[in-house]
Amino acid sequence: MIEVEGLTKRYGATLAVDDLSFSVAPGTVTGFLGPNGAGKSTTMRAILGLVRPTAGTTAVLGQQYRELDRPLRRVGALLETFDAHPGRSGRNHLRVLAVAAGVPTSRVQEVLALVDLNEAGRRRVKGYSLGMRQRLGLAAALLGDPEVLVLDEPANGLDPQGIRWLRDFLRSLAGEGRTILISSHVLAEVAQTVDEVVIIHRGKLIRHAAMAEVEALAAGSTTVRSPDADRLATLLTRERLEARIVGEGRLEVAATPERVGEIAAANGIVLHELSVARATLEEVFLELTGEPGERGA
Amino acid sequence: MTRLFVAELLKLRTVRATWGFVLVAALVAALATAGNIGGQSANDRLDSEYQFRIVLDASFAAVILSLLLGMVLVTSEFRHGTIARTLLATPRRGRLLGVKLVAGAATGLGLMLVTFVVTAAIAVVWLGFLDVPLEPSDIVDAASRAFVGAVLAGVLGAAVGGTVHSQVGALVGSLVWIFVVEPLCWVLLGLLDLNGVAEYLPASSVGGLVDSSGDGLSFAGSVAMSLAWVTLATALAFLRLKRRDIT
Repeated sequence: MIEVEGLTKRYGATLAVDDLSFSVAPGTVTGFLGPNGAGKSTTMRAILGLVRPTAGTTAVLGQQYRELDRPLRRVGALLETFDAHPGRSGRNHLRVLAVAAGVPTSRVQEVLALVDLNEAGRRRVKGYSLGMRQRLGLAAALLGDPEVLVLDEPANGLDPQGIRWLRDFLRSLAGEGRTILISSHVLAEVAQTVDEVVIIHRGKLIRHAAMAEVEALAAGSTTVRSPDADRLATLLTRERLEARIVGEGRLEVAATPERVGEIAAANGIVLHELSVARATLEEVFLELTGEPGERGA
Repeated sequence: MTRLFVAELLKLRTVRATWGFVLVAALVAALATAGNIGGQSANDRLDSEYQFRIVLDASFAAVILSLLLGMVLVTSEFRHGTIARTLLATPRRGRLLGVKLVAGAATGLGLMLVTFVVTAAIAVVWLGFLDVPLEPSDIVDAASRAFVGAVLAGVLGAAVGGTVHSQVGALVGSLVWIFVVEPLCWVLLGLLDLNGVAEYLPASSVGGLVDSSGDGLSFAGSVAMSLAWVTLATALAFLRLKRRDIT
């Protein structure tokens, strides 16, 4: 449905995308992840025909974007913030797009209602908050009722309420069986929505995996607190379990809590704490991209 | 293609700047016509080309405004970042440029229509009051030149906008070219006894379409040279637009 094959994009001396290949299967929601500056936006713009690849190809629905007939009816896109003429109303922006896309203008009111901009639609865009602009952008993306959606950082600048609204909204779109490629630099933001993730860094593919696989990477060790930690550590090691003392009376064990609890009970060792120590999704993400210090770059 | 053209017209219709251009065109036409009638003696008003001049003099500003509005048609897309969404709807850039050129022609036509209606309304009433008989053939001749001039200016504006992309750069650069650079070229070429060459410069070619003085290129020559400049600007715009990454 969306195919990227050997995509390379160079801006002068800067290599934005480096021989990137991945595909997004029909009907799946795929998170496109990477730190800021990883090449996500460039890749998405190349998919949409806005950026000319230095090498490689991109295709949507089996064709280059520019070859699609009435593309807005097949592919909807939101590119970071929704750029708009400040003096034009949101409704008129959508009317222009509807006419250009060959979509009935009655659809404008439908999508405005869908993104909860019914009242604001008549106001000029210069009076819109960032969240309202994002909603207008989503309305524009959905105008042609497309089967494919390409959304570049749709949560950018949204407040927590807006992010929750967006998450629910994306879930409902995914529930309709649309193919969605959604970029973000925050894994947790899309974790509840996506089926798969494509992680890139410095323009290169780091990992293309099912979300469940990434979540499995987050599953970690067991934390134990006991007044008899040294003896417990010795017993665990004897059972060929990796246990290390991480503080006074505190152990971290590479095993399930059940197994650790059984060994402690069998040996009459009192436990004050027995809990799962999970890495957060963000920690997994940073580990995969390999450079935690560069997140703000 | 038709729906893209209608979308372009809708874009123009839904921003205030367009109506500002229309208002300025109407005001300048009214002032120029009033000046041309009120400021002339009774004998001058009976001059054989008087009514021809009234129409063309009132049209000059509309030609410049058509040029500028043609530029705004393209450059506002880059200024406000709407070019990405426009290209998502019309990914074939050559087609988009073609639609913009046609829309530029339409804006020229529209601005000149407003100018002509204002000019005609004032002139018919005022000259009728002064008992000056109307010369329909002169008026039609002048009006057709004015409409051709405005249409070509609108297309040229869109092509220049497609080449320059920066709105401020295109508008200011064009005005500086029209009112500073080209007059300087005239002076310099005059010093070299090359006045004839200056007539082929872009502003002189397009301006020649609505020049009532009779100096410079013939109307047909002005049309031919204007088309040549439009072709050159369109080719540059196509190359620029085709190569530009929308980031």
